[in-house]
Amino acid sequence: MSAPSSGRESVLNRIRKATSTVALDGPRLAERYSSIPRNYVRAGKLSNATKIALLIERLRDYDADVAESAPGAIADTIREKLTGSGRQTFAAPGGLPRIWMAPSFNWVIDNGLSHEEIEKVDGVVTAATCAIADSGTIVLHHSANEGRRVLTLLPDWHLCVLRASQVVETLPEYFARVTQPPALVTWISGPSATADIEMTRIKGVHGPRHLCVILVGD
Amino acid sequence: MSQATERPVLDPTIALPFHQAALPVLRDAQLRKNVAHAIDVIQTKRGRLVAEKTDWQELRSAAAEIRAHVLENLGTYLEQFEARCTAAGGHVHWASDAAEAREIIRGILRSEKASEVIKIKTMTSAEIQLNPYLEADGVNVFETDLAEIILQLGNQEPSHIVVPALHINRSQVREIFAKSMGRPELSDDPQTLTDAARRYLRRKFLDIPAAISGANFLIAETGGVAIVESEGNGRMCLTLPKTLIALAGIEKVLPRFTDLEVMLQVLARSATGERMNPYTSLWNGVTPGDGPQNFHVVLLDNGRSSILGKAKERQTLRCIRCAACMNACPVYRQTGGHAYGSVYPGPIGAILTPQLMQLQHAQSLPYASSLCGACYEVCPVKINIPEILIDLRAQVVDQERHKGSGIFSPLNVGLRIAGVLFSSAGLFHAAQRIGRIGARLFTRKDGWIHSLPSVGGKWTQTRDLRGFPKQTFREWFENRPAKIGTEGK
Amino acid sequence: MRASLFITCYNDTLFPETGRAVVFLLERLGVDLEFHPKQTCCGQMHANTGFRTEAFSQAKRLVQMYADAENVVIPSSSCVAMMRDQYPGLFDELGNQSLRSDFAALLPRVYELSEFLIDKLGVEDVGAYFPHRVTYHASCHGLRAIQLGDRPFRLLQKVRGLDFAPLPNLDRCCGFGGTFSVKNAEVSSAMMTAKLQDVLSTKAEFCTALDNSCLMHLGGAMHREFAGMKTIHMAQILASTEKSPMEAFA
Repeated sequence: MSAPSSGRESVLNRIRKATSTVALDGPRLAERYSSIPRNYVRAGKLSNATKIALLIERLRDYDADVAESAPGAIADTIREKLTGSGRQTFAAPGGLPRIWMAPSFNWVIDNGLSHEEIEKVDGVVTAATCAIADSGTIVLHHSANEGRRVLTLLPDWHLCVLRASQVVETLPEYFARVTQPPALVTWISGPSATADIEMTRIKGVHGPRHLCVILVGD
Repeated sequence: MSQATERPVLDPTIALPFHQAALPVLRDAQLRKNVAHAIDVIQTKRGRLVAEKTDWQELRSAAAEIRAHVLENLGTYLEQFEARCTAAGGHVHWASDAAEAREIIRGILRSEKASEVIKIKTMTSAEIQLNPYLEADGVNVFETDLAEIILQLGNQEPSHIVVPALHINRSQVREIFAKSMGRPELSDDPQTLTDAARRYLRRKFLDIPAAISGANFLIAETGGVAIVESEGNGRMCLTLPKTLIALAGIEKVLPRFTDLEVMLQVLARSATGERMNPYTSLWNGVTPGDGPQNFHVVLLDNGRSSILGKAKERQTLRCIRCAACMNACPVYRQTGGHAYGSVYPGPIGAILTPQLMQLQHAQSLPYASSLCGACYEVCPVKINIPEILIDLRAQVVDQERHKGSGIFSPLNVGLRIAGVLFSSAGLFHAAQRIGRIGARLFTRKDGWIHSLPSVGGKWTQTRDLRGFPKQTFREWFENRPAKIGTEGK
Repeated sequence: MRASLFITCYNDTLFPETGRAVVFLLERLGVDLEFHPKQTCCGQMHANTGFRTEAFSQAKRLVQMYADAENVVIPSSSCVAMMRDQYPGLFDELGNQSLRSDFAALLPRVYELSEFLIDKLGVEDVGAYFPHRVTYHASCHGLRAIQLGDRPFRLLQKVRGLDFAPLPNLDRCCGFGGTFSVKNAEVSSAMMTAKLQDVLSTKAEFCTALDNSCLMHLGGAMHREFAGMKTIHMAQILASTEKSPMEAFA
């Protein structure tokens, strides 16, 4: 294996030489970065109701099962969806609200589950960080009530509970809400898909093939 | 089997020049039909989404400027990335060339005693010819993208950077899977074939402790790595194994996390005609308890720093590998990727490959274009590909002049003579007269030329050429009767 | 209004009838047209093939020749594109300050034919009569490099008797590409065949364009294949009247 520093020094030297006439130092670099024109759409223009309707339309386009729920009825709506899924054993992140875990089902709480254990469950229930209506995207930062990445990856059925206040219209609006860049992010826009065989779009390759979303009004 | 006679060669050091490599491909009706169909599907989707995106041009401008800014300050941003990634628990390696990159990766796998590795599709690994190198060292490499599996099991080469197996039919996929997965009962229905791939890979995802990926973007501010995908095999490789090695060209870096708000919007629409691709993953270094605990980034130069140093050509490195250029390219539409003799085909390949080779190879690629400009029109980071193609042609000619090679090719001789003729009206007029007389030899009774020798023969193999008129325009103008005036008004 | 005609090297030699049509058309519209007999070439072929010094010497010659022209009219969008897109780089790299300012002073006075008619003369109806079914091919230089936009369509729309057939896949290159047509002749032919399918599907009698380069390529294939369609430069359509149909300046 080549000595680590020699590759680094030679690459960086070549880079510095190549950009010696254009590279900027500290304060001027920051200034130049800030001066990059950003005339694209930042904030959305839709009313809340239209925004939510757009998100639901996009999610249903992806064949996600979407239900709306009043705040007081979350547990009931979840139970309905779990029942409708025909599945029995569900994984839950450690921080998932207890009342969401309907009693007539088997719950496996992730306090350090192995991959094989997660592979055995029928589905998973989580919260989310944000949803972007324009692209029908659900954003997970993998916090305590969203779960580790593997938890929303191996099970074939994923139920995601979103509050209406978590929904934004545009992608820049999501970024505007992020005060501190997260260490882990997964952006989910529909079930996995491939068009590799004759450009025929096939949904559900790896990752959950079934997505269910409950939108809770605020 | 559709396959053109031999396995295409995607190594620019030994590939045939474009016009020769294109010949068997042009005769492959299935490939041409598949390529046109794939392109039409993506282009239609892209067109619809770009039309609905009222700020598309503003996004392109921002994307182009962000990328240009990064390249001008690449050293600073890479060092920042390295510091943050390392602080977050990752290991950052620097590879000057393909050989160093391969060695670094092999070294990491050896220290982990990994005899198997799962891979996410990365053109960069094909660029450094990683798979054969690892296989020769006793490491089993399992591609996990559906297209890459098809290519790997079918022993074929990619022909597009986003949809690499677009030249292969479902019945061929069926044959490949049936044989290599031991499942003769498989039908050729794409859903069935996809399910077969899912089953084939499931245990591999769960059991194999090492993965290799590329990187769509490196975030300097956080040390983060972002990967954009559709199938979920990326998430599997990035989450389940103990060891993850991400191989990234040095040009992949972005300054800030928020810059993704621009890049993700232009990438998805350009690459697959979607508002957002199904899965995008981002992680900073190592998160205890979540994902690979042994994480390495291998930064690859391999000729990129030499492109960086050329003011006009630097923009080549803005590329985010969306393949919009090849989807728009009328040349690519007819030939697909294999004719370019490189893992990077199409318009971007025509400028990137020769430059990565420092013009020692692939000198025919800058000429593999009619300069129509469709690529520049769709490039989300506004790379002026036609301008670079023309500049590279000038560099090739200069190189030939210095080496004394190619100067006697009929076309180049003709061009140099033409240059002299155009410098003087007297010479030009004389040449026109001589040309007119000479052309009569080849002009048939219908007033057209059907067959010419030498370079002219390349025209007449598929087209006629109208015979030289009796008078040039100038001769008519100088000898014409008094001017028309207001007749006809 | 005075204008100097830059006929282009290939029009001069191979398509003088296009030049004749431009003369008839512009003089009919009251333009006092002049023609510098010593003109040769704009340098595009050399620039695009990598012969920059040769291209530069032709560019220099052209700029010096037209220094005093009130307007320069060119019936070829690729030559205009050459001047707008590549001359600046050539003069920056190989020229001197005086040449660069001569060029900068000249450039605003250079017009492609349809630009001259619509932008400078302010006319769309040039009094033309052409009773045939016609489709229009947008050459890539006209479409993308100098962005002619809807000018060609506005001019054709006002031609009396003309039956206009829109071309499918209008923005797709015909495959000529200058020396590309011989350096990559087979790919060029494949592109030409695809384009011909679209052109023939219009069932037009004529395929027109503002560049004879594309038309030479498409027309050459039409002739070889007995396709039953002909090509004609738009200048010849616009110059055509009842009294002087296109044959008058053929």
